[in-house]
Amino acid sequence: MISLSKVKNMSRRYDSRTTIFSPEGRLYQVEYAMEAIGNAGSAIGILSKDGVVLIGEKKVTSKLLQTSTSSEKMYKIDDHVACAVAGIMSDANILINTARVQAQRYTFMYQEPMPVEQLVQSLCDTKQGYTQFGGLRPFGVSFLFAGWDKNHGFQLYMSDPSGNYGGWKAAAVGANNQAAQSILKQDYKEDATREEAVELALKVLSKTMDSTSLTSEKLELAEVFLTPSGSVKYHVHSPDSLTKLLLKHGVTQPAAESS
Amino acid sequence: MSIFEYNGSAVVAMVGKNCFAIASDRRLGVQLQTIATDFQRISKIHDRVFIALSGLATDVQTLYQRLVFRHKLYQLREERDMKPETFASLVSAILYEKRFGPYLCQPVIAGLGEDEKPFICTMDSIGAKELAKDFVVSGTASESLYGACEAMYKPDMEAEELFETISQALLSSVDRDCLSGWGGHVYVVTPTEIKERILKGRMD
Repeated sequence: MISLSKVKNMSRRYDSRTTIFSPEGRLYQVEYAMEAIGNAGSAIGILSKDGVVLIGEKKVTSKLLQTSTSSEKMYKIDDHVACAVAGIMSDANILINTARVQAQRYTFMYQEPMPVEQLVQSLCDTKQGYTQFGGLRPFGVSFLFAGWDKNHGFQLYMSDPSGNYGGWKAAAVGANNQAAQSILKQDYKEDATREEAVELALKVLSKTMDSTSLTSEKLELAEVFLTPSGSVKYHVHSPDSLTKLLLKHGVTQPAAESS
Repeated sequence: MSIFEYNGSAVVAMVGKNCFAIASDRRLGVQLQTIATDFQRISKIHDRVFIALSGLATDVQTLYQRLVFRHKLYQLREERDMKPETFASLVSAILYEKRFGPYLCQPVIAGLGEDEKPFICTMDSIGAKELAKDFVVSGTASESLYGACEAMYKPDMEAEELFETISQALLSSVDRDCLSGWGGHVYVVTPTEIKERILKGRMD
C-alpha cells in the first residue's frame, strides 16, 4: 500500500476518504481493498456444461483449529446459489448475510428463486454504496458466485470491492490470481464436464499455491449441479473425498511432512 | 360472521408412538360459497416439522411464506433444521409482532423432536402457545373436533392406527360444520417416512 505513495506523493492526500476521486481519477481506498485481497487465500471458479466448480485455498491451517462443519471459503447463499470468498473474513460474513437476506426477500415477494445475476447485482449495489457515500471503507472481499436458474442455466460471476461484477467461464480471486487466470485462459475448454472442471481447478490451484504440498486440509472444493430429479444441489466435498480426488488427478505430493 | 369464519377451515394434529399425524380439510370458501376443494392448509417446513394454518386464507399463505423466509435463513446460518419447539417459538414471536393488527390465523404445529419424540402445539392468532400431549385442533370445526378427538384418541398409537383415528375424527367433525369439508388431507410422519393421503368424505 505504501508503494503507491513512493511513486506519487500526491496520493497521500486522497487516501483518507473513499468518497473522493484522486486527481488521476482513481479511488484509492477501493484499490487498497483489492491489495488486501491479493494477500488472501485464493479461490478459483470454473463453469462446465453440467455444473459449476468452486475451489478455495485455506490460509488458516493449524492442528489447533476446531474443524467443524462450517467452512472458511465456501458459503451457501440460497438453495441454488453458493459463493467462494477471498479477502477479509469478517467483511465476507457481513456480505454473505446480506446476500442471504436479499435472496429470501426476493423469494418472499415473487415466490420463486432469485435469478443469480440479480442476486449478484443486488450485493454489488450494496458494495458500491460503500465507495460513494457514508464515509465508510469498502469491503475487503472478492466473491466468486456459482449458481443455477431457469433463465440462464449455470452461471459463474466474480465481484470485487468496487462493486463491479462480471460473468465468467473461469475466474480466480485472491493470491496469485493473475497467474491462475493465465493458466485458466490456456487450459479452459468450453464443453468440459464437471469432472474435467474439477481436475482443471485442482491442477491450476496446485500450480499457483504457495505451499509446497497439496493436501485436503488446505483446500475446500464445492460443486453446484442438478440432481436427476431436477433440483439444484450445492455439495461441499469431505476431506476424504478431496484426498481421493487429489490422488486420482495426480496433484497431491505424498507429503513427507508429519500430520 | 366473524372474519375467522370467512374462508372456513378445520385442522387437527395428534401424537402417536414416535410419530405424529396432522390433518386438514380442503375447502376454501368465500362465506357460504365454495370456491376451491383443494386448498393447501398444511405445509412442510422441513422433513420433521409441519405447520397447518386455519383462518383467513390470505394470512395463511402470507404467514407461511414469512415462515419459509425465516426458516431458510436459520438453516443457512445454523447449518441445521429447526427443532419443532424452536419453530413454535418463532411462530409465536412473529404473531405477537402484529399484536395490534394480527394475522387472522391459528396455527397448528407438529414435529418430531430429539429422540424421535413427537411434538404438537397450537396457538391463537397473537401467539399464545398451547402445548398438548395428545391432540390439538383449530378452525371453524374446532368444537366438533375437540369432541371427536377426545372420544377417539388413545395414547401410543402406531402410524396406521393413528391415521385411521385422525381421519375419522376429522371427517366426522367437518360434517357438522358447513364451512369446512370437501375431503381431507392427512400427513402421517414417522422417523423414516412421510405418508401423505387424501381423504374422500362428504363432498358438501
